[in-house]
Amino acid sequence: MTRRFALPREAREFTAIEDVSFEISGGEFVSIVGPSGCGKSTLLGLIAGLAPVTAGRITLDGRGVDGVHPRLGFVFQRDALFPWKTVAQNVGLPLLFRGVDAGTARARVADWIARIGLTGFERYHPHQLSGGMRKRVALAMTLVHEPEIVLMDEPFGALDVQTRNLMENDLLDIWAQFRRTVVFVTHDLEEAIALSDRIVVMTAAPGRVKAVYRITLPRPRSVTEIRFHPDFGRLYETIWKDLKDEVRLGYERNRHGLAG
Amino acid sequence: MATSGIDTVSRAEIRLWRLGLLAAFLVLWETATRRGWMDPFFVSQPTALAGQIAGWIRTGFIFRHLAVTLQETIIGFLLGTLLGIVVGLLFARWETLARIFDPLMVALNAMPRVVLAPLFILWFGLGLLSKVVMVISLVFFVVFFSTYTGIREVDRDLVNNARILGARPRHLIRHVLLPSALTWIFSSLRTSVGFALIGAVVGEYLGSHEGMGWVISYAESMFNATGVLAGLLVLMAAVIVIDVGLKRLDARFSYWKPIAK
Repeated sequence: MTRRFALPREAREFTAIEDVSFEISGGEFVSIVGPSGCGKSTLLGLIAGLAPVTAGRITLDGRGVDGVHPRLGFVFQRDALFPWKTVAQNVGLPLLFRGVDAGTARARVADWIARIGLTGFERYHPHQLSGGMRKRVALAMTLVHEPEIVLMDEPFGALDVQTRNLMENDLLDIWAQFRRTVVFVTHDLEEAIALSDRIVVMTAAPGRVKAVYRITLPRPRSVTEIRFHPDFGRLYETIWKDLKDEVRLGYERNRHGLAG
Repeated sequence: MATSGIDTVSRAEIRLWRLGLLAAFLVLWETATRRGWMDPFFVSQPTALAGQIAGWIRTGFIFRHLAVTLQETIIGFLLGTLLGIVVGLLFARWETLARIFDPLMVALNAMPRVVLAPLFILWFGLGLLSKVVMVISLVFFVVFFSTYTGIREVDRDLVNNARILGARPRHLIRHVLLPSALTWIFSSLRTSVGFALIGAVVGEYLGSHEGMGWVISYAESMFNATGVLAGLLVLMAAVIVIDVGLKRLDARFSYWKPIAK
């Protein structure tokens, strides 16, 4: 698929991603890595149905994407929590939107709040929570209606390293329980290797698929310990060789203002 | 509270300074009029003002007129706010509507409503209605522009997140757009309430048989400086009371904001 944006003020088009094509099986954890500005986030937006593709098509379970799929979840780079709602109200929002009856909704919200370890914080507002806690709420809010596919756009990018590792482990635990399909966008190769079954490496803008790698590291994994696995370094080296040139290219272009 | 690092004057001291300056001003004023430096016929004097207000309170005269003004203010304010929110919402949701009517809104807003007051009185009579219309014409634009901006400026991620979480258009309005706009509306609330009161008083001043505007206008026609100033003082007191109330209300509704300003 391809996605172009019109740049009316410059009277030209900007091609964010071009001829990107890959398949993801159910229950698979796939990461997309690439230099900044390569259209990773654009790609997720297209899969989510938030924006239309310019050419080509995306199918979920054999059906073409037009608009937001009801069984899809999205964790944004920023929290995207509703600041005027409490933790419990935030988590319960997708159930409210879907008309789940209040009793069932309350039980499921309580269950998810317990699962993310925020019992006792139900009545807090987002601004009263730490970055890690907010991220947990965002995760619970996404997963509470049990989506089939979860898209994550650099969800842990803004967290400090310790919190980030904890969150990554929590994510792996949750994923191991539910086995949903996860598409995880990151620019952090280590994170991608530690979490994924497969890694899609993208080129600098316009983003294309440069290579796809299968990560065969044993599961269950702990992100803090899997780094010491003998294969980890080898995988890192191989993929980094691919990524390195693109990162440099992306950087140069950004510096010269050619890519958005 | 002292805001600069060097300024270490305490709150109590500031309050003392204010009271002291006010007292000095009143004493000077009173002395000047008693010693014949200034003519109380033109500038009145503090004791006369106090007497006038005390008399108004004793007879209940002032409460009747204050009630009339507040009634016009409140009705006009509520209707103007409601209208502003509804139209702001419509404009923000339907781009075409906004594009068609944008010049009209700007033009209407640029028109000095105070000058329109005589027309409103001509159309809607000397009573409540003309003042309410006057208030609406002032409040509407403040609220309309706040709502419109508030909705246009809503965080794109929040809207996208709501859509992905399964929000239908009515959910989006109820749970995302309106709460987001409310913060803007509230930030302009004190302005719009001020406008509302001005609208009511100006309306009364220009054509009415009751209300604070009429009290002031009547005193003026009698060349009664004391009556004019006393009327203004009562209005001032009313505005201060309302403003304190609004500050509390704002704090209640902004509970989710990191720092209440």
